[in-house]
Amino acid sequence: MTDRRRINGPPSGTRPAVFAPSLKSASSISTGRPRRQRQPNELRKIFLKTGLIPSASGSAYLEFEPSASLAASRSSPQSLIPPSSALKLACTVHGPKPLPRSASFSPNLVLTTHIKYAPFAARQRKGHIRDASERDLGVHLETALRGVIVAERWPKSGLDITITILEAEDDRWWGDAPDSHDAPWGMMNVLAGCITAASAAIADARIDCLDLVAGGVAAIVSDEPAEGESSSPKLMLDTDPAEHKSILSACVVAYMPSRDEITEIWLKGDHSKASLGTDDKTLGHEALIDGAVNAARGAHTVLTEAVKESAERFAGLMLGGNTA
Amino acid sequence: MASTAPSLTLPPSQFARLQPHAYLLAHLSPPASSNQPSIRANGRAPAQFRVTSANTGSLTHTNGSAVVRVGDTTAVCGVRAEILPTDDIASWSVSHTSSRTTNKRQKLANSDSEEQQEEEDPNDKSHIQDLNLLVPNLSLSTGCAPGFIPGAPPSALAQSLSHQILNLLHSTRLVRAEDLRVWYQPPSLGGESLERHNAEEQMDVDDEGTGKEDDGEKAEVKAFWVLYIDVMIVSLAGNPFDAAWAAVLAALRDTKLPKASWDVDNEIVVCSDKVSEARKLALRGLPVASSFGVFEADAAAGWRAVIVPDAEEERLIEEGARKGIQRRWVLADPDGYEEGLSQERACVVVDKKQGKTVIVKMEKNGGWALDGQALKEVVEISARRWEEVKSILEQC
Repeated sequence: MTDRRRINGPPSGTRPAVFAPSLKSASSISTGRPRRQRQPNELRKIFLKTGLIPSASGSAYLEFEPSASLAASRSSPQSLIPPSSALKLACTVHGPKPLPRSASFSPNLVLTTHIKYAPFAARQRKGHIRDASERDLGVHLETALRGVIVAERWPKSGLDITITILEAEDDRWWGDAPDSHDAPWGMMNVLAGCITAASAAIADARIDCLDLVAGGVAAIVSDEPAEGESSSPKLMLDTDPAEHKSILSACVVAYMPSRDEITEIWLKGDHSKASLGTDDKTLGHEALIDGAVNAARGAHTVLTEAVKESAERFAGLMLGGNTA
Repeated sequence: MASTAPSLTLPPSQFARLQPHAYLLAHLSPPASSNQPSIRANGRAPAQFRVTSANTGSLTHTNGSAVVRVGDTTAVCGVRAEILPTDDIASWSVSHTSSRTTNKRQKLANSDSEEQQEEEDPNDKSHIQDLNLLVPNLSLSTGCAPGFIPGAPPSALAQSLSHQILNLLHSTRLVRAEDLRVWYQPPSLGGESLERHNAEEQMDVDDEGTGKEDDGEKAEVKAFWVLYIDVMIVSLAGNPFDAAWAAVLAALRDTKLPKASWDVDNEIVVCSDKVSEARKLALRGLPVASSFGVFEADAAAGWRAVIVPDAEEERLIEEGARKGIQRRWVLADPDGYEEGLSQERACVVVDKKQGKTVIVKMEKNGGWALDGQALKEVVEISARRWEEVKSILEQC
């Protein structure tokens, strides 16, 4: 059944372009994998700005700094295949607004979250209708935010949070076979970005929260060993999946630093096999959660700056409105 | 004064919400004694457009992309090219097997560079339209404005905007079909080997291939590029069409298609990933859209049925004009606030060829205020806007 409300392409469908290097055997192109240039505990820079969408009660735009390989390919383009990608998303908050008449009574603020990838966001073209992974991300975001918002202040009200992902993170390096990584690891980075951006947008909409919640990602990766290094799995913060040969497990948390609380945790992969060195007594998953919390702390500093900026803008608006 | 009756003073922002029509009218027709110019509530002159900025090529996974901001309206456009092999087109072998001869192909290649010879390609329109090679879709369910529910099917406005973009792409013939074709030139084999080749071909019982194979030098179209042009309106504050069209135009100007060739062994189209071999689309012209709203001093104008004014009414208006009382304003690039107050809309798409203004599309609905004279002025404003947009697009 074709979608009659949209303009559909050719009825027989189209195929994504096949590039010549991807037809070669995997071993011959494995040298092209981008390498992580950051320290294991170093995060990518985050650009976060609030109030870019004036018709919404609160909004935020978030962008991750392109990794070194992507920045290099942008400044001096050689290949049309991008080595990795950097998250770009826009978040809007509409509300609190009265619930529709048909809705049943709710003593609390009713939170709805929508996450949608733009069709051009990922390496594979996305459909116009939300798929299962997008709904899944929406549910994760909702649980992350539900624990933060003081919901009982707005009975009989609704709050819509909409996130449009303009560019997503890669799930794996393009040169790897599609089945080489079992899980869509890029989703975890996307969720962390969504949590941070949504938190900024909620603060921009001036909705009472317990704290600013920030998202962070940590992963246990095992890379091809460089010279003179052991190939034991390592803990890395804010991993770009394109830069790693295999990610054993990853964890994303939504963390409130001043209360030291986690509102959402999503841990994926097998961390039992990963031993982080003999001197490290902590268990794999504990190290992973600690790493994700540290990453969230880093994102929180950016978040505070953005919210401070939003508050200053609001104060200026109030002042300007009174004198005019 | 205000201190004696504080209950009667309202801040401008509240007055604007309570009495939008009176508020805008008061701005546009200030009392003659005040010596103030007629200016819109947003501080613009009636023919002034909002500040426009454009940025291209920032999205990684697109062949071309653009972000265009017109005031507070933001449109993000990404162009993705995918392959449509001719084998997949159901009617291809029936209707298009008469593949061009080589000299025809040569002529087409030459006509690419020559602007004047562009009408040489008879299949241009039919290929792009019949095969749906351009697929524009506009999405408003991005939380861009409170009225649009995310996750719901596209609203009537979004559907209408998508179709307007598609129609404009077709009617302006912006994209050349030649840019979207992937040709295959079979190697010219010697007589002996050609025979052998033919024998093989017959054994394959390739009902599609046999017709063409008897002349090995004929180049044939093996595939088409399909351009998926997706526009996300990230922020909506009036006049989405101008912003969306500017974003489509900027993204198409930025679009680079990789060099594609037919791989006979694998029977697929393989693209070269070298940036140096990729080529940009050669677009026809630079059509720029400008939208207008008509604001009427009579607040009830929006409620009454659209009728042609009778002589009496016409005389009154003319008399008013003579006295210097303006009753109608044509507002360029209306923002969300003004869009709600103007019943009549007009959209003009113009292009300039060798210094002459060409009207590509003109649309006007909802009233009778814009007559021939006013439309002429509107086209003049659009022509000035064209220069403005051209310089913005050329800078990015």
